[in-house]
Amino acid sequence: MQYLTKITARDLNVYYGGKQALFDVNLDIHGHQITSLIGPSGCGKSTFLRCINRMNDVVPTCRVEGKVTLDGDDIYRSDIDVVQLRARIGMVFQKPNPFPKSIYDNVAYGPRIHGLAADATGLDEIVVTSLARAGLFDEVKDRLDDPGTGLSGGQQQRLCIARAIAVQPEVILMDEPCSALDPIATARIEGLMGELTENYTLVIVTHSMQQAARVSARTAFFHLGVVVEEGETAKIFTDPAEDRTRDYITGRFG
Amino acid sequence: MTEPDRRAQRAAKRRLRKRHAAERRFRAYGAIAVTTGILALVLLLGSTVATAIPGFTHHVVELPFHFDEMRIDPSGNRDPGEIGRADYARVVKEALRSVFPDVRGRRDQRALRSLVSSGAAFDLRDRVLADPSLLGTTTVLAVPLADDADLMLKGAIDRTVPESDRRVSDQQIAWIDRWVAEGRIDRVFWTRFFTSGDSREPELAGIRGALVGTFWTLLVTLALSFPAGVAAAVYLEEFAPRGRFTSFVEVNINNLAAVPSIVFGLLGLAVFLGFFGMPRSSPLVGGLVLALMTLPTVIIASRSAIRAVPPSIREAAMGIGSSPLQVVMHHVLPLAMPGILTGTIIGMARALGETAPLLLIGMVAFIVDVPGGPTDAATALPVQIFLWADSPERAWVYKTSAAILVLLVFLVAMNLTAVLLRNRFERRW
Repeated sequence: MQYLTKITARDLNVYYGGKQALFDVNLDIHGHQITSLIGPSGCGKSTFLRCINRMNDVVPTCRVEGKVTLDGDDIYRSDIDVVQLRARIGMVFQKPNPFPKSIYDNVAYGPRIHGLAADATGLDEIVVTSLARAGLFDEVKDRLDDPGTGLSGGQQQRLCIARAIAVQPEVILMDEPCSALDPIATARIEGLMGELTENYTLVIVTHSMQQAARVSARTAFFHLGVVVEEGETAKIFTDPAEDRTRDYITGRFG
Repeated sequence: MTEPDRRAQRAAKRRLRKRHAAERRFRAYGAIAVTTGILALVLLLGSTVATAIPGFTHHVVELPFHFDEMRIDPSGNRDPGEIGRADYARVVKEALRSVFPDVRGRRDQRALRSLVSSGAAFDLRDRVLADPSLLGTTTVLAVPLADDADLMLKGAIDRTVPESDRRVSDQQIAWIDRWVAEGRIDRVFWTRFFTSGDSREPELAGIRGALVGTFWTLLVTLALSFPAGVAAAVYLEEFAPRGRFTSFVEVNINNLAAVPSIVFGLLGLAVFLGFFGMPRSSPLVGGLVLALMTLPTVIIASRSAIRAVPPSIREAAMGIGSSPLQVVMHHVLPLAMPGILTGTIIGMARALGETAPLLLIGMVAFIVDVPGGPTDAATALPVQIFLWADSPERAWVYKTSAAILVLLVFLVAMNLTAVLLRNRFERRW
């Protein structure tokens, strides 16, 4: 099946002060698929991920050159509303970071500020749908007013996913979402990722090659700020074209 | 065991003993330091409290007062204006004469009258106005004694000192002793201290005017320093570009926090009173000056509190498309608010006790009326204490100490609130 290109990066160069972090990155992300970015520490995969929803804008020394498009529009154009962009591209972070509010308010905050619900009933619907899609609703449905920070690690991460889903994004970025969780919680979230592709495009950064192999359709291998190889996950992991890729996958380094 | 082994063992034991002794000494130094500090505090507070307690009580004398209807309300209309204008000093005079019929001669009668406070007449008037049924009756009522008589009963005037060196004569002492023997003297809690404004007579003086003046001043201070301070802190932490200008502002704010308060008073005098012509001695100007003084404290505390909010919360908010303003208002400020409030309360507690800047903007006057608003002439509690402390009369000593105690209670209450707030909201996430 042919997937449409959702996000593209062309000649992307990113600098932190004087140090260059990404060199001429050219990458396509396809819609309704999971693309994983793998590579050793410090290779630039998180930097690339944060370029997609312009979270690097808040780092004062960061400079981005090149083009990143979403559905064909360059998101680094000067007249782009970054706030709206971040509503279309959601993000889940490495360490679960729910707001210090109730579970309901955590999920409802996004729709409230973007005016996505016409009334209280509409808001309830969005919250319930988001929690259900994140696989958390059954566990919290009778304690929606409890603080979000009172949940377990895995539940908190699913709450963050629900929170990201609630603003009805098109893309969900995940920066090592399972690295702070135990294997059971990790397995649940990996299962969730597969279900999410029905409605969203996923880009995940992961340290675990097994995870990349398990969940993603396409994989990009980053090394020292350069995309060494990119392609279908099966091919990357069984028959990589580059030597560096093979060395990384077989555990020679990283 | 060989000889060298035994020697080594002894040396090790010696070292251990020395180390233990050093640790014990160190702990002792700490205990001594804490004890000395607490002792000094207890001494200071103790002496203040000891002189303050007598200031909260006053002696009253019960005398039979005849309210002659013919004299007080001749027309019989019960008109408050008319009743208010009657001569109540005469009622007091007659009451004293009825109790001491043998006192003759102008001088002696004046000496007798001076035992009772000049405010007694006003007290009687207020009671008749409140309860006109007193007219035509002879009722026993309690009226305050004058400050000298009260001091004598509190034991502050030495009876053994020769009469010419004393404020009360032997004759007056004899009269008071007779009243005590007749059971007419009572010692009551002096609520007048809290309900009346300043006065020339110590027994009639109260801190109400000063309390209201302090209230208005602090209100103006809070209204100006809190929004400005929090907004400045938010801007400096969240929005200002890091650079030379921001560092310059930061350094200056930290310096301002250390400037002596009297300098702010000079500023108030020169700019607010001199240039802008604002009302002298008003809580408005006092509040403005104190707000300038409190602003650096609020800014520094707020910045600290804002910086303590973890960046993960900000990232999470940004990640779902919050604008920078929404991040600040909905996430950062609510989490930083306990720290901000603590800093503000501490700053306000400092402003509460400031005297020097208020003196310079003219709050030295003798203000009797309770101020109605921030532009009325007023005094503040620390200034009131300063003014009273200036008076050499013994009676003022008790009043000054009592006022100091009230001020200390407020300060402790405010600081306690700040500590409780801080503890309660320490880690909410």
